[in-house]
Amino acid sequence: MSPEPTTLLQGTLDLLILKSLATGELHGLGISRRIQQITGGTFVVKPGSLFPALHRLEDEGWTSSFWGDSENNRRAKYYRLTKTGRKQMEVESKRWGRISWAIAQALQAS
Amino acid sequence: MPLLVKGRSFLRNLFLTRRVEQDLDHEVHAHLQLLIDENIRAGMPRRKAERAARMELGGTEQVKEQVREKRLGNGLHALMADCRFGLRQLRKNPGFTLTVVLTLALSVGANTAIFSLVNALLLKSLPYPHPERLGTIYARVTGARSSENPINLDGERWELLRDNVATLISALSGGTSGVNLKAGSRVQYVRNTRVSAHYFDVLALQPLLGRNFSEDEDRPHGPKTAILSYDLWRNTFGSDPGILGQAILLKGEPHTVIGVLPQDAITPSNADVYTALQPSREGAGGGSNFDVITRLREGATWQEADAKINSAWALRARRFENEYPGVHLSYYSVPLQKGETESLRPQVLALMLSAGFILLIACANLAGLTLVRMLRRASEVATRLAIGASRWQIQRQFWIENLLLALLGGAVSIAVGFLALKWLFLLLPEHFLPVASVPLDGRVMTFTLVVSVLTSVLFGMFPAFAARRVDLRSSMADRSVVRAGSVRVRQSLIAGEVALTVVLLAGSGLLIRSLIHLETLPPGFNPNGVMVAKASLDDVRYHDPANFRKLLDESTAAMRQIPGVQNAAVGLTLPYERAINDGVTISDGKEAGTQDGTDLFYVTPGYFETLQMPLLAGRTFTDADGPNAQKVAVVNHAFARKFYGGSNPIGRYINKDTLIVGEVADVSVVSGLEPVAPLMSEQAMYVPAAQVSAQFLSIVHVWVQPDWIVRTAGPVEGLTAEMQRALAKADPNLPASGFYSMKDLLARTLTTQRIEVALLGAMAALALLLSAVGIFALVANMVAQKTREIGIRMALGSSIGQVMVQVGRSGAAASLVGLVLGLALSAGALRVMRSELYGVGVYDSTTIFAVVLTLSTVTLLATALPALRIASIDPARTLREE
Repeated sequence: MSPEPTTLLQGTLDLLILKSLATGELHGLGISRRIQQITGGTFVVKPGSLFPALHRLEDEGWTSSFWGDSENNRRAKYYRLTKTGRKQMEVESKRWGRISWAIAQALQAS
Repeated sequence: MPLLVKGRSFLRNLFLTRRVEQDLDHEVHAHLQLLIDENIRAGMPRRKAERAARMELGGTEQVKEQVREKRLGNGLHALMADCRFGLRQLRKNPGFTLTVVLTLALSVGANTAIFSLVNALLLKSLPYPHPERLGTIYARVTGARSSENPINLDGERWELLRDNVATLISALSGGTSGVNLKAGSRVQYVRNTRVSAHYFDVLALQPLLGRNFSEDEDRPHGPKTAILSYDLWRNTFGSDPGILGQAILLKGEPHTVIGVLPQDAITPSNADVYTALQPSREGAGGGSNFDVITRLREGATWQEADAKINSAWALRARRFENEYPGVHLSYYSVPLQKGETESLRPQVLALMLSAGFILLIACANLAGLTLVRMLRRASEVATRLAIGASRWQIQRQFWIENLLLALLGGAVSIAVGFLALKWLFLLLPEHFLPVASVPLDGRVMTFTLVVSVLTSVLFGMFPAFAARRVDLRSSMADRSVVRAGSVRVRQSLIAGEVALTVVLLAGSGLLIRSLIHLETLPPGFNPNGVMVAKASLDDVRYHDPANFRKLLDESTAAMRQIPGVQNAAVGLTLPYERAINDGVTISDGKEAGTQDGTDLFYVTPGYFETLQMPLLAGRTFTDADGPNAQKVAVVNHAFARKFYGGSNPIGRYINKDTLIVGEVADVSVVSGLEPVAPLMSEQAMYVPAAQVSAQFLSIVHVWVQPDWIVRTAGPVEGLTAEMQRALAKADPNLPASGFYSMKDLLARTLTTQRIEVALLGAMAALALLLSAVGIFALVANMVAQKTREIGIRMALGSSIGQVMVQVGRSGAAASLVGLVLGLALSAGALRVMRSELYGVGVYDSTTIFAVVLTLSTVTLLATALPALRIASIDPARTLREE
């Protein structure tokens, strides 16, 4: 797998962050690593993109944050999905599913 | 729900900035630590781990900035930062800020004050329920001659209106006058308005206590009743709730109190006490002496009402049309507010126009000031552009600064407007305006805000456009660039404002000349050393001629006893006052049967002598001209000229049995016949007070108060008290309503002219001040910017004087162009003032000369003062500074 990160499509990052939080609360680095892991290393999210997105999602009310201790006893800010965030994720996943199916269809047709 | 969360986030970001920032800082650092930990766990040495972590993070500050940009409410945050920066800029240039704020405060303040007048007089609804249903009646004459005027009603028209026009509730007011009220042992002088039944129903005013006048009480010879104002009830009757049904002694006879108006009740006259008018076709109702107000009934339209009025008065209109063939007379309703303020409308609008001039002048000044400031900031702008600010950001910064100035100036101008209104009210006599108050209400505030912001937009446009053309390289290199173009722009701005100033100066100059003309008219008598006391004889006791004569005899005799008094008399009325008008018929000779109007005076013997009116022929009155003697009259010169073609009137008969025994010189009076000027002389006849009829006495004193006059050679201190004592000797229940010198009476008559002069003069002075500031700023700025050039010139041998002239020329030239432009403009614009000018033409050389002189002096001062700074320039130092 190429270490060169693929440019994220508009809106994809939000969905990936929400998805990464679906299994439980994570801190910023945790989210970044989890996205890397679940996309098989295709997407590496830089802090410069990650943090603005995290804060925006929190402003929207889709995530909430709290300060907690990390696995090696560092203070870190943790994020978790709110109820509206989970709903948003489902909506976005369905939409994304439709789009990717449509794109795949289009590509196969040719 | 999501909106709520968003709102909370927005507010948190906006107001808990420090907490949010701290949180972000901790988070980014924690992230860095986690990265380092991760790298160490992966086996890197500590230093390398830290370096790799930093590389991955990409700079803590940059990350934080990226988060900030995405935050909710970021736009507002930036705006607040701009505002803070703007305020800092304004604080850093206190001279500029002060000039701008003061200019705005004075110009917008003047506009605020004038607009609140416009608002109170022309815009605000009358303070009654359904003001749109309130009206008054106008007459429209078309055909051979045409006019549209409010009408007064006589008894006949009133009865026709009252009995035939059911779509309206109509009511009359018979005017307001001062009368005497005796409560307990105290006699008090109060304002009394005579109104018909339903007057308060038309205004929809319900009394606080009791009731309104009934139709029965409004019949001729009906019971005497009174309704008190709240203030009179509280101050004189101690808020006695048992006042209803009690009798008060008003005008010498008992009146039963039937009602008290509520505290906040406002009536068009705002009198202290109201009595029933009891109108009929006799007495006051024999002439057109009543004001009418109407209220349209529910469901009716004004068109219906007008049709009814015209049919009710059809016979009257036909009579008029027969008298003046070729004209058509019809009647129509006009909103009450318009009817009440019609006479003041042109003055108020002229004031608003001149206030607009002031605003334009201020705009021109401010545009010039901000333009200079902008050019001075060219290097700052260039720097900001160079380090990546967008032009929009820079523009926004300037607009925000202008807006801040506008708001600051607007706030101060409300205070200035408030003070200006206070000053205006000191100037205006009581009850001059037909409204109870001139409030600074929401509409005025909005107007002020809009005007300030609009002004800011107007003068903000210039520098904003200039900023679009800032050239990076030249601006950063040059320290002082006086662009010829910018000076020319400023010069034309100043020429424009000077032109407007000249129009205002010339206008107020003409008004001042008019006022001087009126004040210095030959009076026709000797006004010096005359003291006047007025008292109301609207009193049932003095309807009896014998009582009336006794009062005059005893009081004038007592006044002659005052030390220093040479002569005393009583007359209705005096020079400078409005005389009553009556018809006169010539009874003999070839003019027999001629009928016309004349001023009519009653006077006691000694009246002409006290006033020192020259006797042209015949004799004046003596005590022998009593009630049973031959009826006699003295006429003035204008009378003799009008009716006898200037031949001797002595020995001629008028009004059947009255013999003319004397002819006196003309005096200046307020015309009620054919007014062409506020003061003029017209035909007048004088009759002995002892020969007037009871019927005349009962009507005339309702409208006019007689004057007691004394001529004294001594000091006037204490004279009024002596006069009051003399009056009390004849009647202890007769307080004087006021004391005046002849100068006071003249001033009272010319009140409107004085107010016009004061207001327009204040406007012109303000305009002059603003123009001076503009010229001063232009020259001062030239001196500041050209310091180096001046230094070089002086080093090369120019004298200080030469350089001063060279620099000052810019201001003087602009002012000169403005002067010429302004004079040309005045020649056209001031023609509208013609009806307000007396004894002076629109093209008046004295006024023009005064305007040129004033403007030249001010221009000279405004250019010389800043140019004097040149003297302190040291050529050696300015050259070294480079």
